[in-house]
Amino acid sequence: MYQQAAWMITLFLSVFIIFIFLFVLKRSGNQVEYSGIQKKGYFIRNIWFVVLFGSLVTASYVTLDDLPFERAEAKGIPIDVNITAMQFGFETSVDTLKVGDYVAFHVTSKDVNHGFGLYDEDLNIVAQTQAMPEYTNTVYYQFEKPGTYTILCMEYCGVAHHIMKNEITITE
Amino acid sequence: METKLQVDINWKTKRAIVFPISISGAIILLMMVFGVIMLMGQGNIIDLDSGMFYKFMTIHGTGMIGAAALAGSAIMWYFLSQYVPLKRSAFIINFCFFLLGVTMVLVGIFAYDFAGGWTFLYPLPAISGGMWGETGAVLYLGGMLVIGTGFLLLFLEASRAIIKEYGSFANSLGWPQIIGRNKGYGPPPAVVASTMVCIVDITALIAGAAILVISIVNVYQPTYTIDPLLAKNLIYAFGHIFANSIIYMGVIAVYELLPRYTGRPWKSNKILLIAWNMSTLFTIIIYPHHLLMDFVMPKWMLILGQVLSYMNGLPVLVVTAYGALMIVYRSGIKWDVASSFLYLSMFGWVIGVVPAIIDATIVVNHVMHNTKWVPGHFHMYMGIGACAMIIGFMFYITRVDGGRVDREVDHLALWLYLFFFLGVTGSFLFSGKVSAPRRWAEHFPEWVAADVAGAIFGTAVTLCFLLFMLRYINYSSKIGRMPSFKPDIRTTTHG
Repeated sequence: MYQQAAWMITLFLSVFIIFIFLFVLKRSGNQVEYSGIQKKGYFIRNIWFVVLFGSLVTASYVTLDDLPFERAEAKGIPIDVNITAMQFGFETSVDTLKVGDYVAFHVTSKDVNHGFGLYDEDLNIVAQTQAMPEYTNTVYYQFEKPGTYTILCMEYCGVAHHIMKNEITITE
Repeated sequence: METKLQVDINWKTKRAIVFPISISGAIILLMMVFGVIMLMGQGNIIDLDSGMFYKFMTIHGTGMIGAAALAGSAIMWYFLSQYVPLKRSAFIINFCFFLLGVTMVLVGIFAYDFAGGWTFLYPLPAISGGMWGETGAVLYLGGMLVIGTGFLLLFLEASRAIIKEYGSFANSLGWPQIIGRNKGYGPPPAVVASTMVCIVDITALIAGAAILVISIVNVYQPTYTIDPLLAKNLIYAFGHIFANSIIYMGVIAVYELLPRYTGRPWKSNKILLIAWNMSTLFTIIIYPHHLLMDFVMPKWMLILGQVLSYMNGLPVLVVTAYGALMIVYRSGIKWDVASSFLYLSMFGWVIGVVPAIIDATIVVNHVMHNTKWVPGHFHMYMGIGACAMIIGFMFYITRVDGGRVDREVDHLALWLYLFFFLGVTGSFLFSGKVSAPRRWAEHFPEWVAADVAGAIFGTAVTLCFLLFMLRYINYSSKIGRMPSFKPDIRTTTHG
C-alpha cells in the first residue's frame, strides 16, 4: 500500500514540477520589469510556503501515528520469534506460523550489519528492520495470508549478501 | 551599469580549477560506466561476477561522491575568490591529497579486493566474509582518510578567509540582517552558501575521520571495538552531510550566473538568509533519516529525522529554486547551454526532493528502505541536480574563458541527457516500488526488466556525458589564457 502511494504521489508531483519549469521556461523570453515580477512573486511565494508547510505538518501528524516499532501496543501480546543474521544466512527460532498470528520479530546479528526484510509471496516487502551486532531491533507483523514468506538481507554485508535468505511458512 | 558574464578573478585561480574539473569529469564518466555495468549485471545482459559487482559498487559510490565534491569545491572556490582572498595552495594541496587518496582507494579495491561499500559500515571492513584482507581494507579506509583530510584543509582555509573578511560565521550567515541589527542585504549568496558548506563539511569530515581511524584500528586489532550504533551514526553523519553538501557547493554557480544571464539581481534578503541558516542546521542534524530502520535509536531522533527532513525541503522549494524561477520568468534571457544546465539543475534538485521526502517518512521507509527507491531519488538530485550544475559550469567557463561556441549538438545532448536520466531514475524508483533491493549483485527475474531499462538509459546518459567532457577538454586549455570574450549582456548583479 505504501509503495503504491509513494509511486503515485511521486508521479503526480513530478508532473506538477515539470509543468512549472516548462511554464517558466516558455515565458522566459519576453522581458518585463523585475520589480513587478518580484512583487507578485513574493506574494505567491507566501501562499506557496503556507501550503507547503501545512502539507508537510499534516503529513507528519498523520504518518507519525503509525510507527512500525510501536505497533505492539495496538494489537495485544505477540508471538516472539528470534531472528539472528550472520554472513551469509538467517537463523530463525520458528519457521511455521498460522494466519492471524501477530508476531514480534526480535532481530540481531552475530557479525556485521544486515537487514531483515520480510517479503510476501508476491515479492513485496511487508516489514523490515536492521539486524545489528550487539543490539536487538523488534519489528511487528500480523500475517493475514497463508503462504511462504521470504526473509532477505536488506543491508550490504559482503560478497554473498544477495543470496542470504530464509523462509517462514504461514499455514491456514 | 553594464557587466559581463566573466568573473573578475585572478587568471591563476581560473587556471587552477581547470585540471581538477577535468579529473572530476573523467572520474564521473568512468563511474557512470561502472554504474551501467552493474545495471547490465543485474539485468542479466552480461555475466558479472558478484565479487566484481561489489567492487564496482564500492568504487561507484566513492568515486561519484569524491569527484562531484571535488568539482563542487572548485565551483565554490572559483566564485568565493571574488569576495575573500583565498590561498591557492590549499586548493592545490586538496587536489594532491585527492589524487593520492583515490590511488589508495583504487589499489585497495582492485588489487586487494576491498568491497565494503562506500559506507564501509563498521565492522564490515574487518569482517569481510572471506573476500578481502587487512591490506585492502586499510588502503581503502586510509585513502578515504587522506581524501577527507585534503577537503578539511580546503574548508578550513575557506573558513579562515571568510571569518577574516566578515568577522565571524554569524556575520557571513547574515545574522545581523536577520535579527535586524543591520539594515539592507547580507553578504553575497556565494559567501553565505560557502559559509554553510564550511560549517557542515568540517563537522562531517571530523565525524568521518573519527570512524575511519577507529575502523582502521579495528581492522588490525579486532579486540578494539566500539558501539556499532555509534559507529553507524558517525558514518551517516559523515556520509550524508558530505554528499549533501555537493549540491550546496554547486548551487553557488546558479546564484552567481543566472543573475548575470538575466541582468536581475539575486541579493541576500532576509528570507534567503533564514533559508540558508535553516539548511545549515538541518543538513547537519537530519542524517538519522538513514537510520529509520534502527529501532533501537532514540525515538526522538527518528522522529526528528523524518520531520526535519521534510522541513529541509523548504529552503530549496521556497527560496532557492523559487528564486531561480522568479529570476528567469520574463527576463528576456538568451539561453545558452550553460544557463540551460543551471536551470535544469534547479529542476533536478526540486524533483529529487519529492521521492526523498517520501522515503524519509518512517512508515514508508519501513517498506522501501534500501530498495532501489533510494538510489532513485538521490540519482535525481545528484545526476540532474548537482551534475547539471557541474556540467553547466563546464560549459560556462569554456564559453566565457575558453572561446567555445555553442553548437546544436550541445543543446540536443542536454535534452537527451535530461530525458535519459529521467529514464534511469524512473527505472530505479519503479524497482523500489516493487521492492527490489539496492546493492544486490543479482536480482530475481521479477526485477530484471527495470534493470535492463536502467542499463539502456544509463548507457545513453554516459554517451551524453562523454560528449560534454570532450567539449570541455577541447577548450579547457585556453581557460585563463585568452583575452576577454564578449558575452556580456546584462547589468551588474552583486555590485
